[in-house]
Amino acid sequence: MEDAQIVNSLVRRCIAGDAVAWEEIVQRYNRRIYNICYRFAGSADDAQDLTQEVFIKMYRTLSSYDVERGAFMTWLTTMTRNLLVDHFRKTKQDRVTDSMDAAPSEHEDAMPLSEQIEDKRLPPDARVQSRETGEVVHEALQKLSPELREAVILRDLQDMDYRDIAAVLKVPEGTVKSRINRGRAELARLLQRIYRQVM
Amino acid sequence: MPGETHNGMQCNEFETLLFDALDQKLSEGQQERFRAHARVCGKCGPMFAEVEAGQHWLKSLAEVESPANLVNEILAATTGIQSYRLQAPAAAEHRASLGERIREWADSLFAPVWGTVRQPRFAMSFGMAFFSLSVALSVAGVKPTDIKSADLSRSGLRRTYYTTTARMVKYYENIRLVYEIESKVQEIKKVTRPDERKQEKERERNHKNNTSGDPEPRQERNYSRDENQPVLASGPQNPLAVSVITTRRDV
Ligand SMILES: [Zn+2]
Repeated sequence: MEDAQIVNSLVRRCIAGDAVAWEEIVQRYNRRIYNICYRFAGSADDAQDLTQEVFIKMYRTLSSYDVERGAFMTWLTTMTRNLLVDHFRKTKQDRVTDSMDAAPSEHEDAMPLSEQIEDKRLPPDARVQSRETGEVVHEALQKLSPELREAVILRDLQDMDYRDIAAVLKVPEGTVKSRINRGRAELARLLQRIYRQVM
Repeated sequence: MPGETHNGMQCNEFETLLFDALDQKLSEGQQERFRAHARVCGKCGPMFAEVEAGQHWLKSLAEVESPANLVNEILAATTGIQSYRLQAPAAAEHRASLGERIREWADSLFAPVWGTVRQPRFAMSFGMAFFSLSVALSVAGVKPTDIKSADLSRSGLRRTYYTTTARMVKYYENIRLVYEIESKVQEIKKVTRPDERKQEKERERNHKNNTSGDPEPRQERNYSRDENQPVLASGPQNPLAVSVITTRRDV
C-alpha cells in the first residue's frame, strides 16, 4: 500500500472510532508536528503544548478531512500552521506590553535584528561561543518575521514542495519562493553579524 | 536596478530564477546565464551568496526528538486512553496484541498493590496462608499424585515448606488479582477480536485434556502465552497463578 492509501485507511478507521488507528496517526505524525512547532515557537515547552493542541483539534475535526481529495500532510500542516499563527498573535500581544515585540516587516531591508539577538548580560562572543551552532541558528530563526520563518521551516526543515507550501499558506507560489529566498538571506545576515562579533 | 542587464539576464529575472537555481531545477543554459550574472552583478551576486548560506544554515538544523511522554499525553487528552502498545520504537510498526493491552492495563491499575504485596512482610504471610490452604486441600482429598514428592516426616515437611513456599509466595501474590482481573478480562475479550476468543476456547479444551495436575508445565505455558495470547494478569516478573489454582480446585 502506498503511504497515502495507508493514511486514508487510518483516517477512515479513526472516524469509525478505531482508537488503535488514532494512536497510529499520533505515532506517525507527532514528531513532525512537534518539530514544526518547536522551530516556529522556539521553546520546547511551547512546542509540546502546541503539538498537543494540534492533535486535539485534529481529533475533533478529522471527519472534515476529505479522504477522496487526499493530501493529508497538507491538511495537517495547514492546521498546525494556523494554530501557530494564533499562538504567535497571542504571544505578540503579550510581548507588546514589555516592548519586546519587534517582528520585522516583510521588507528585507527593514531588519534591525541582530541587535535583538544580543543578550544584555553577556558580551556577544561569550554568549555565542558557549553554545552549539544549532542553538544559535535556532535562536536566529526566531528573529525572522513569522511569514519568513514559516516559509523556510516548511521548505528547508520539512522538505515540503513549494506548491504544497503555497496551499498551506494560501498565497501564490511566487510569493512562497520569494519568502523562502528572503527568509534564507535574512537568516544568513543575522548569523553573519553574530559570528562577525565573535571573530 | 531591476532593469540592469548583465550577460543577457536582468536582475528581476535572476531573482525569479534564484529559488529554482538552488533547487537545481534550471536547465543547463539557464544555469550558465544565472551563474554569469551572479559573478558580475554587484547586487545579485551577494544576494545569491546570502540565500545559499541561509539555506545551508537551515539544513544544518537536525530534526529534534519529540518528548517521550508526548504520545501518551496526546492520547490521554483525546481518547482518554493511554497507549495501546508498548512505547518501544521497535513496537511502532505492529499492532498491540490483546495480551499487551491487558498487561499494560493491569500494570497501571495495580502498580500500588504490587508495591505492597511484594514487601517481604506481606509476601511471607501470604505464603503462610497459601501453604495452610494447600495442606487443607490435600487433607480434603487432593490426590497424593498432585504433590509428587510428598514427604510427611517433620524434616521433610520443613524442606517441602521452604521449597514450595518460595514458589507459592509468587503464586499467592497473584490469586487476589486474578479474580479481580478475570472479570475485566472477560469484558475486554467481548469487545476485542473474536478470533482470540476462539483460541482461548481451544486452549481451555486442551487444558481439560491435560490431567497430569503438575503445576510446573502449566507455569511454563503461562510464560509461553506472552507472544500472542491473552495474559490474564501479570505482576512485573511474576508467573501467573490461575491454572495452578484451578487445578487444585478441580481435583
Ligand atoms: Zn543583478
